[in-house]
Amino acid sequence: MKMAFFPGCMIPVKYPYMEAAIRKTVPPLGIEIVDVEGFTCCPDPIHFKAADNLGWVTLAARNLCVAEEAGLDIFTICSGCTETLSEASYMLNEDKELRQRVNKRLARVGKKYNGTVKVKHLVTVLRDDVGIEKIKSTVKKPLTNVMVAIHYGCHLLKPSVFMKVDDPDDPHVMDSLVRAIGGETCRHKEWYLCCGRACFDQNLREEMTECVLDSVKKMDADCMGMICPTCFSSFDLGQIMLARKKKDSEAEVNMISPVYYFQLLGLAQGLKPEELGLDRHKIKLNTVLEKMSLKN
Amino acid sequence: MKDPKVEVNFEKRKELEKVLGADQVSYCYQCGACVGDCPSARFFEGFNPREIMLKSLIGDFDDLISKDSIIWKCSNCYNCYERCPQDVRPVEVIIALKNIASQNETSPKEILDVTRRIIETGYSVPIVSTSNRIREELGLPPLKKIDVSELKEILKPDKKTEKK
Repeated sequence: MKMAFFPGCMIPVKYPYMEAAIRKTVPPLGIEIVDVEGFTCCPDPIHFKAADNLGWVTLAARNLCVAEEAGLDIFTICSGCTETLSEASYMLNEDKELRQRVNKRLARVGKKYNGTVKVKHLVTVLRDDVGIEKIKSTVKKPLTNVMVAIHYGCHLLKPSVFMKVDDPDDPHVMDSLVRAIGGETCRHKEWYLCCGRACFDQNLREEMTECVLDSVKKMDADCMGMICPTCFSSFDLGQIMLARKKKDSEAEVNMISPVYYFQLLGLAQGLKPEELGLDRHKIKLNTVLEKMSLKN
Repeated sequence: MKDPKVEVNFEKRKELEKVLGADQVSYCYQCGACVGDCPSARFFEGFNPREIMLKSLIGDFDDLISKDSIIWKCSNCYNCYERCPQDVRPVEVIIALKNIASQNETSPKEILDVTRRIIETGYSVPIVSTSNRIREELGLPPLKKIDVSELKEILKPDKKTEKK
């Protein structure tokens, strides 16, 4: 199966180890990654959309055109990119007048959005196209006894009318993908809460992040299973900043490590922690590596 | 007793409805389904999406588009979009208000900074000197230099000759 890889900005620039995990774990699952020339930032659904919604949908439409020209469906790895490209497709497919307006702008550069391209987050591709059995067949080192507290974040699931990833009130996609590689999952009390990163208010951000962290820490989990890079930033560096700011020595010792799902998949496929950049996290993944006998 | 009569400023509301995303605002029947799951309402007492919808409905939203407006406390979680039984999509109305604020130059500086960076470099995140070194160490190709010439062209306002 060939798909156009939409890397976005945050992962390739800030968290390249997540991209490395994708590039190493996905080909064994039978997906051929195609790097298409011409993609830009999705653009981001928080800043650009707040500045100019019409411009936002226009730039997103241009990215969709790039994939259409290549004749490939898109797979995304960032919840924000998934939100932008899915919402833009939905708007352009539902609202003919808007599509006409955007296509007039695109015509200036010789492009046209036809609505033929599908946008799928990689977790959806894994669940629906690759299948759980195939994922299991690539596992060399199962995550035995590893308890993962899943934090879905907001944009992977909502709004479900166009995200179409899973039931936002009772999602299972991440749980089934973690179980496929031998780990266990749990749902923490505040699993539904936003990490707060997109509030333009530092205190509000921190209160939400802290509330999620307190909830996760009650679970006796070995790590926090992440799929959104924005959530990851809130819970990796954000967790350290929060503990320092509050001068909370207990919180500084008692940190919970966030980890991107595809890094866990990489460990299960037998990759070394350094190949997946796990040594580059601010909060190290100690207990998981200990349980997998990967700790030096 | 205070006069309970509310004057709706229809002209002002129409101005909002014309912004992409806010076209459904008049269907809001003030049920409050948007409030229950709103994380910003939970953690900040003064934030209430139903009240933001009410001000939008009656066309009295000047304070919402002024500098340091409460709308910037929205977490963009899309819970209200998910819950709204009327398809008003409150978060989209809030984003429409943000668009007006951005036009009036009252939005936070970060909004304009990130937007400008995307138009000028194709990336939303600044590329620093260590970015490509880390990528190389992980066996990844260097970051692509993105050709942004098309972006500027398609972001130019609609031309009269392009309209029907």
